[in-house]
Amino acid sequence: MVFLEVEMQGNVVVHPDQLDSKGLLLRKGIILRLLEDIACRKASQEHGYYIAVTALNSVAEGRVQELTGDVVFPVSFNCITLKPSKGEILLGTVDKVLRHGIFLKSGPIENIFLSEKKMEDYKFVMSEEPKFINDRQNSRMENGSRVRFKVLGIKWMEWDRGFQMLATLTGDFLGPI
Amino acid sequence: MSAEEEENAADLKIGDEFLKAKCLMNCEVALILDRRLEQLQQMSDDPTNQLSQVFEKSHQYVKRFSRYKNQDAVKQVREILSRNKLSEFELSVLGNLCPETVEEAIAMVPSLKVIAFACCV
Repeated sequence: MVFLEVEMQGNVVVHPDQLDSKGLLLRKGIILRLLEDIACRKASQEHGYYIAVTALNSVAEGRVQELTGDVVFPVSFNCITLKPSKGEILLGTVDKVLRHGIFLKSGPIENIFLSEKKMEDYKFVMSEEPKFINDRQNSRMENGSRVRFKVLGIKWMEWDRGFQMLATLTGDFLGPI
Repeated sequence: MSAEEEENAADLKIGDEFLKAKCLMNCEVALILDRRLEQLQQMSDDPTNQLSQVFEKSHQYVKRFSRYKNQDAVKQVREILSRNKLSEFELSVLGNLCPETVEEAIAMVPSLKVIAFACCV
């Protein structure tokens, strides 16, 4: 998983009561609003997950919206993003173990499914805690285990504003660590 | 669909918008997010207000998976890796996954094959 620092353009809408003749307070207003916007936006198909704004590069001339009195500032900022891509190798933690496979989590990405068909040397074992065990390598995957896996496919879910992913252990050096 | 198919990390094909972007390793992100958390606590009265779920989950994730904790170590890792003519993406993947052998490294980052082959000849 690789995080990226990308420069982005956007608009920040500032409510009239946050406007202040002293420049610094206005800047604070813009920053707070930008942080809030990014936190709400969560992710997009184009950029992946928005994690944190690191710098506000420039603020252009604001435009007043006539009906509401809000001021719109076009801004350019740096943001740390995370966009998973197919074929990438990621680390994740086991979230749920089911008979047909395992659900993994990796940072902001939830709903990563590792099907039992994609880890054929691991067998499902139902004991007090369900787990997948490989007898030959003496390794196991249960709730909380850390797993290194490869991304088999990704789907953007608009209603959830997030990605769903399929994982595989087919390949060298993949599996629980 | 075709454009989507082409984005494949194994061949080092990533989207255009990311070509100019800077890749960061988990440990670097951990440092940045730590500092961001401090800043937010100072800046606003209610720090939980600006913290998104994405932020929190990523923070937990990088703290759990980053191998290097202190700032100097992180700097050194980047410096040592950057001596080797790697692309930003390759560098970050290696820094994150810490492979122990050449075979493991190539399995993690298939685009390294070219370099490994050039070294052998």
